[in-house]
Amino acid sequence: MLRIEFQIRLAGISSRFFELEEQVGSIEIDNALPVAGDAVFLFLTAQFDGEVSEENLSKQLSSMQIVDMSRAEMNRCTYYLGVMAKLSDASVLSLLTENRAIPHRIVGRNAHLDVVASVRDWSHLKEVASTIEAEHGSLELIGTTQTENIGFPLGGNKIKQSMSGKISDEQLNVLETAYQMGYFKVPQEVTAEEIAGELDISRSTLSERLRRVEHNFCELLFGPQE
Amino acid sequence: MTTIILIKSVDQEETVREILSSVVEAGEQIHFIRLPSVRCMGPLIQEINPMINYDVDYTINCLPKEYDVSDLVEFAIESGATRICIGITEQTVTGKARIDNLTQSILLHDAISGDVVVGDHTIILEELTYDR
Repeated sequence: MLRIEFQIRLAGISSRFFELEEQVGSIEIDNALPVAGDAVFLFLTAQFDGEVSEENLSKQLSSMQIVDMSRAEMNRCTYYLGVMAKLSDASVLSLLTENRAIPHRIVGRNAHLDVVASVRDWSHLKEVASTIEAEHGSLELIGTTQTENIGFPLGGNKIKQSMSGKISDEQLNVLETAYQMGYFKVPQEVTAEEIAGELDISRSTLSERLRRVEHNFCELLFGPQE
Repeated sequence: MTTIILIKSVDQEETVREILSSVVEAGEQIHFIRLPSVRCMGPLIQEINPMINYDVDYTINCLPKEYDVSDLVEFAIESGATRICIGITEQTVTGKARIDNLTQSILLHDAISGDVVVGDHTIILEELTYDR
């Protein structure tokens, strides 16, 4: 099985969010549930530059219905939305699942959609890429790796969802980068300096953010300190 | 078996060693194909010494200056290559082998198919079949 990461132009719900009056940093599809007809329930995490109101968003996103909207506890510019949308608003997700690829992440940011998905093999990769190119114009493969297991499909990472909003974006970014670069492996695959360099922060900032993440994890597991 | 090793940089000694020691078997035919940006492969070949150290025959070829993926695929077809090995020069933040334009063009090319194996330093396209 191959895990692939690719980019396409913004499309569907992500492009609608980036057309909003409010500045959007990123929009991620956390989960999707099919609804009868050509509708889909989408659960989204949206990072805005400031405070937004459901009323204002509803006015601008008239083609979809906001069913639920809440604000993250810690990152006050992060909002979790449940929206009823058209299937075409999640077309990359539909194309992946129709072609039996497994979506892991779909994030809109910096004028494109970043997608991580699993495909069976090379011919499956071609099939999926060709379908997506036909619908979205072009596709840029960013990276690939081989994997034995499916991992967490979209919407399957319960711990991540429980943690969402409990740690700040910066802390989450530090944790994810450190994890992905192999900082927590034994033996360590990267040094703290290398991670700090990747994130363009000082080593002391990296250390502070990692400790805060650990503290928040412990608080979640064991409750507040006496 | 015939293997094409795509050389994108003279700093790919680790990649070539991985391929010759764990992918290719003794007695196989190797075609090193360098991108036009790689000016000279002499020091790399001298350091590795494929014939003596790995018991393989090899040739060195260069893609034309204005190369296209079809030049590589054409060469692969003509030489009956059963494998194409592409060095991993960089990884993404999430640890995936970063795919450049040429690698994407090969992976998505209609005329070539087979299996993809992602190693530590190399992407190996093997069991190649061609559809002209």
